[in-house]
Amino acid sequence: MDVFIQLAVSGISVGMIYATIAFGYQLTFATSRTLNFGQGEALMLGAVVGLSLVPILGYWAMLPLVMIFGLFQGVVVERLGVARAVAQKSEFGWVMSTIALGVIFKNVAENIWGRDDLKFPSPLPEAPIVIGGAHILPMEFLILAGALAMMLAVELFNRRTIWGKAVVATANDSDAAGLMGINTPQIVTLSYAISSMTAAFAGVLIAPVTLTGATMGSALGLKAFAVAIIGGLTSGLGVIVGGILLGISEKMTGFYVATGYADVPGLVLLLLVLAIRPDGLFGKRAIKKV
Amino acid sequence: MRVTPEGLAVGAIGLCALALPLPFLGMTNYYVHLGMVIAIYSILLLGLDIVVGYTGEVSLGHAALFGIGAYTAGVLLFQLKLGLWFALPAAMAVTALFGLLLALPALKVTGPYLAMVTLAFGTIVQILINEMTPLTNGPMGIKLNRPLLLGYLPKDREYYFLVLLFLGLSILVVNRILRSGYGRAFQALRDAPIASDCMGVSVWLYKVYAFVISAAMAGLAGTLFAYSEQYISPNTYSFELTILFLLAVTMGGRKSRLGVILGASIVVLLPNYLADIELVRLIAALIGMGALMVAGIQWHKAGPRALAPIAVPLILCLSAWPITLSLASVTDYKLTIFGLMILFVVFYLPEGLIGRIREILAPLTPAAPDIARPPAQMFTAEGPRGAKGEVVLNASSIKMYFGGLRALDGVSLSVKRGEIHGLIGPNGSGKSTLMNVLSGLYRPTGGEINLGNVRIDGHAPPEIALRGIARTFQNVQLFGEMTATENVLVALNHRLRGNLLDIILATPRYRRSENDARARAFGLLDFVGLGDVADEKARNLPYGKCRLLEIARALALDPQLLLLDEPAAGLSQPDIELLIDIVRRIRDLGVTIVLIEHHMDVVMSMCDTVTVLDFGQVIAEGTPQAVRADPRVIEAYLGVAG
Repeated sequence: MDVFIQLAVSGISVGMIYATIAFGYQLTFATSRTLNFGQGEALMLGAVVGLSLVPILGYWAMLPLVMIFGLFQGVVVERLGVARAVAQKSEFGWVMSTIALGVIFKNVAENIWGRDDLKFPSPLPEAPIVIGGAHILPMEFLILAGALAMMLAVELFNRRTIWGKAVVATANDSDAAGLMGINTPQIVTLSYAISSMTAAFAGVLIAPVTLTGATMGSALGLKAFAVAIIGGLTSGLGVIVGGILLGISEKMTGFYVATGYADVPGLVLLLLVLAIRPDGLFGKRAIKKV
Repeated sequence: MRVTPEGLAVGAIGLCALALPLPFLGMTNYYVHLGMVIAIYSILLLGLDIVVGYTGEVSLGHAALFGIGAYTAGVLLFQLKLGLWFALPAAMAVTALFGLLLALPALKVTGPYLAMVTLAFGTIVQILINEMTPLTNGPMGIKLNRPLLLGYLPKDREYYFLVLLFLGLSILVVNRILRSGYGRAFQALRDAPIASDCMGVSVWLYKVYAFVISAAMAGLAGTLFAYSEQYISPNTYSFELTILFLLAVTMGGRKSRLGVILGASIVVLLPNYLADIELVRLIAALIGMGALMVAGIQWHKAGPRALAPIAVPLILCLSAWPITLSLASVTDYKLTIFGLMILFVVFYLPEGLIGRIREILAPLTPAAPDIARPPAQMFTAEGPRGAKGEVVLNASSIKMYFGGLRALDGVSLSVKRGEIHGLIGPNGSGKSTLMNVLSGLYRPTGGEINLGNVRIDGHAPPEIALRGIARTFQNVQLFGEMTATENVLVALNHRLRGNLLDIILATPRYRRSENDARARAFGLLDFVGLGDVADEKARNLPYGKCRLLEIARALALDPQLLLLDEPAAGLSQPDIELLIDIVRRIRDLGVTIVLIEHHMDVVMSMCDTVTVLDFGQVIAEGTPQAVRADPRVIEAYLGVAG
């Protein structure tokens, strides 16, 4: 039972990371109907940049810089890969270009930070706290709190600020928003910037409990996509539920079946949801127009 | 110019023939081996091109399929001691099965979602190969020895010829499939999925076909690869390989056999050239100089402002040389270079190298129709025709609710055979919704639809189309990249006889039905007066002709009932008169017509019966004169006085 609680807690914390990245998928999907296939690489870049900054600044002072880096990285992805494809209405274009950018980021990171996984210094004590017999890392609580805070902050930004309202308007009806004087291409860029920022933030959150390196992003990005699909690309609550669901099922599989299979349930879940209910468990059904 | 499939096949086979003597021309074993890998990749890419180039889906799972093919060969040898000749068919069957599995979600999703599905599939396969050690020997990999060929152990050279033979065969087979109804369906579903469903060509079914054929070819390539390398391990079949395959297809040129071979050559040879840093620096310098020249020309033509949109690629190209100078080796940056190439191809070379070459050659070569044109067959409607005046379509109390919106609220419609039945009503009254319900695009919330004696509500659009309801669309939905003839041929798919094997073997049975279909297509085009633009791409046709082509395409289904959704919208007066004439002639052939139209003169002059909808309900029905005088109709259109 203790093991079970322990698995559940670490499942929830990794699930919240998935939710944060999935939240980033939702942001860009809302404004431009595009997804960054390199979202996992955005997370990885956040983590490795954070790793380089920690010795100089310490963990807490590094956070804002990594987030600024994330914003900038998102702008690069959107300007270089997505904007042109969106203008050309080429789905193939943005799918391929975000994949290509992801490959480039990963390869460059491999060359700068090496191919081996590195240890990210933890800001909190690494000795687990024992609660009711379960050993829980303090970092796991920080992940939970940090991920929720991040999503909450972006929600507040969307609801309370004029820029956020422009994002929401563009998400609702891009054409109408454009006619009302909103510079929608700029809003799409903004959504990519915020999306990459949340991913970079998620990267430095999860880095202390996993290994950090150029290869850490791909699997996380794919599983976060699974979460975005399972929860529904239009539902904020959906990604949290989906993330936690996936995080726990993964930890359970890793413990009770074999570590090598830990990635399998998420991907199988993704295939099943797409095959049966592609709008996700919480998403709204779209009516196709003829 | 149209580079015909035949011409390309000849070119590709010629390329193979050129490649044949390579081993004898003092080529070292190293190059023979590279040639072999190129040929094997080409086989896989021919299949990948069917999915990426023709159906327009991005597959990130082909490295995994390739791996499954290789591992089928490996496992058969490792566990059961069965060699190459067992492995080839077995691997193709196994990968085809996985292709089927991969395509199943295509029932619900397309585009980026399907791409993610294939990516997830690829990841799972790699995990499974790694983890299922008892079967696959896990990360250790499997060593394979080549089998005896004619009692002789083939070395790389001999094996190279075997691979080339398979490549030649693959080109032949793929060419035949793509030239057949299958190939047309693949293109159609990409251009206009809803229209192809409504022409009896099930988008999902043909996507499954595309994935299965494509997967089988990946299996063939995988097995050949396993025996060419004589050692397989899980890490070969990674995401990076998938990227390489996609780069090859997009760079060489989609929808082209020659492009595929070109792409394969580039991705195989490039890493070798990257090892030579001097050569890389030279190329980088050339790219920089090229970029400078382009920038200079742009500046000269349009001033410095013209440089803004190309600033990013320009800076990238110019910085390539200094960057290569600062690096001792670029081999570690191989993937970055591949990534940059994908970006470049996607945005600046969307048709690939072959597409670009075709564009350049276009003015130099005269256009030639791809296949000798059979004489047009005078169009007559076929299929069961009942007595005039009996009820052909009976829809009773159809309800269609979208959430709280009642788009159709108990509409009953009874259409008599041989009539032109008008359907009018103000905007938003539910006319188009009714069309979509009748053609199966919407599943009605309630009610019953019978065509003749057959209940059709709840059936999928392709089935309803083949049972005898054809339609056109309010906003023209043609297969833009295909010629007028091909557009009609897609809807004639139901007349083609023979299965995939018939197509691959080009049996007389299949060829005869294909010729008949072509003759019929030309007859249909003549019928609507488009005989002279038969070889023109649909997207190049003027608007009025697009509308007529849609009608010809719908007629190709030999429908009992033809639904015309605002056929006169946007037409000029002479075109409208032409349209009226054609609709009357269709009726005279015994095809019943339901006509939605806003041009009242068209409706009033042609229709035998008119039904008027308002707010999802029938408010009047009768002869045009009776309807025109009905106070409720006048109220719906003009409002009440006072």
